[in-house]
Amino acid sequence: MKKRNYSLYVGLFLISIIVLLFVLSFIYLPYSVDEMDIKNRFAPPNGEHLLGTDHFGRDIFSRILVSTRSALLVSVSSVLIGATFGLILGAIAALSPIAIETIIMRFVDALMAFPGILSAMMLSAVLGKGVINASIAISFFMVPVFARLSYSMILENRKKGYVKAARSYGASTVRLVVFHMLPDMFTRLITQLSASIGTAILTESSLSFLGLGIQPPGASLGLMLSEAKGYVLTKPYQALCPGIVLSIAVLGFCMLGDGINSYLQGDISYE
Amino acid sequence: MLKYALKRLLSSLAVIFFVTLITFFVISVIPGDQAILALGLDATQESLDTLRSSLGLDRPFVVRYFEWLVDAIKLNFGYSAVYGESVVKLIASRLPVTFSLTVFSILIASIFSSLLGLIAALNKGKVSDGIIRTSVLVISSLPSFWVSLIALIVFCGKLNLFPVNGYIAPNESFFGFLRSITLASFILAFGELALMTRMFRSSLVRSLADDYMISCDVKGLKRSRALLHYAARSAIIAPITLIGNQAAKLFGGTVIVETVFSLPGIGRLLLVSVEQHDIALLEGVVLFITLMVVLMNFLTDMSVALADPLIRLSGGEAK
Repeated sequence: MKKRNYSLYVGLFLISIIVLLFVLSFIYLPYSVDEMDIKNRFAPPNGEHLLGTDHFGRDIFSRILVSTRSALLVSVSSVLIGATFGLILGAIAALSPIAIETIIMRFVDALMAFPGILSAMMLSAVLGKGVINASIAISFFMVPVFARLSYSMILENRKKGYVKAARSYGASTVRLVVFHMLPDMFTRLITQLSASIGTAILTESSLSFLGLGIQPPGASLGLMLSEAKGYVLTKPYQALCPGIVLSIAVLGFCMLGDGINSYLQGDISYE
Repeated sequence: MLKYALKRLLSSLAVIFFVTLITFFVISVIPGDQAILALGLDATQESLDTLRSSLGLDRPFVVRYFEWLVDAIKLNFGYSAVYGESVVKLIASRLPVTFSLTVFSILIASIFSSLLGLIAALNKGKVSDGIIRTSVLVISSLPSFWVSLIALIVFCGKLNLFPVNGYIAPNESFFGFLRSITLASFILAFGELALMTRMFRSSLVRSLADDYMISCDVKGLKRSRALLHYAARSAIIAPITLIGNQAAKLFGGTVIVETVFSLPGIGRLLLVSVEQHDIALLEGVVLFITLMVVLMNFLTDMSVALADPLIRLSGGEAK
């Protein structure tokens, strides 16, 4: 198919906006995140404050810049940690005798039964609030997704010719998985990673929105929206920009995953 | 069929066992010594020991787990420290809100996504297909709490169509009840739109390309009849599974909209238990939601098996 892959380009474009904001937050920050200017609360966008100020008179633009740090760092690191654990768990299950396989996969099913942010909320209840605990909670949430991925991929690939060939010349199981099956899994892994980062950004901001993630006076998109909630009917503007940036981030990673998928597989995924 | 049902039942029971184990382990063991948490670091050894034995913490993990499990099976989750009521009663009183939210949003999402999926499948590869695919992806990626805030501003603040705060029980005024959960249901449904539309579309595309559609054409069946009676029927299986699984997920995912729209559901209960460290309540709510998910998935598999002769007759081997 010669169809153009819009998802990929739009996804990359949206993510580059977020990365740009992320990089900018280290180079140039107009105001400090907790610098309050009470006399100047709820200011509309102007020359002094690019996106206006919030209910404490803090600069919204600066807070959004800093928020992209937590959004990207928390989501990428927790997805990577969760993915590593999940992939290993799934691989162990796929390569073990049936009894161990059943136990591990029922355990993974049980992890899957904690829907949405339930597991993240449960963990933050016992670990306490804050960034580190939110990251742990999000990686916990990612484990079963990747465990199922590597499990099903290994089971599918086990019967393929190249695996049999590698086994016939005496490759060890670990070598087989890492050097032969992993490259074959790459497409789906990348797709899943990208989509998961989108989900993780959403989960991090949801936790912060519920007051369980990043604590004030820190800055997180979810926290900013949660603060804006109190004034939403009288000063609706405050809720606008953080939400747009958050949507761009989530959408960017979703579309990137989508785009990579159809780029690497052709358009089969849609058939 | 019976063999398949038994097999699925057994694996669901295994999942439930692990669910209870994870819940108990995470909530009761990870936080550390509850006696030290209650009395502080400079409590004397003696008072710690007394509290531990009165709480039963001096016994091994396995014993505590099984005692807790037996209590849970008897539906005895103890009393909530925040509300002072029994956990089961609290959950039962909040259930209607979350339940109706889930049902309404799944209904809305199913209707919209089946229509959009049908349009997209019939126009496969054309501009309208691309537009539908992209727009549902965009709609579903928008963070639900932001959309909720925007909806509050537009529909409650500016247009004054829906009440801002508060939930009206259906026995007070049924219309008021519908009004109070409409926005929240739509927002929950939006989140499901992308996945479900894509599923409807791809399974319709597949069955439209099947040989029996040609034979429908050959024997001169009307397009609409061929579509509804033949294509849609075989295309419905994958979406049923997805709808069931998503309904289960939604059930645990209502906390955000419940918070924004001040609806007193299970999600609010969960948030309060997390904020206030109400351990008994937390355990009860978490266990309740996860059990509902497992149950829902089991029922989904059963209805799919009933709808799909391939699974029904082979005992699930074909899957």
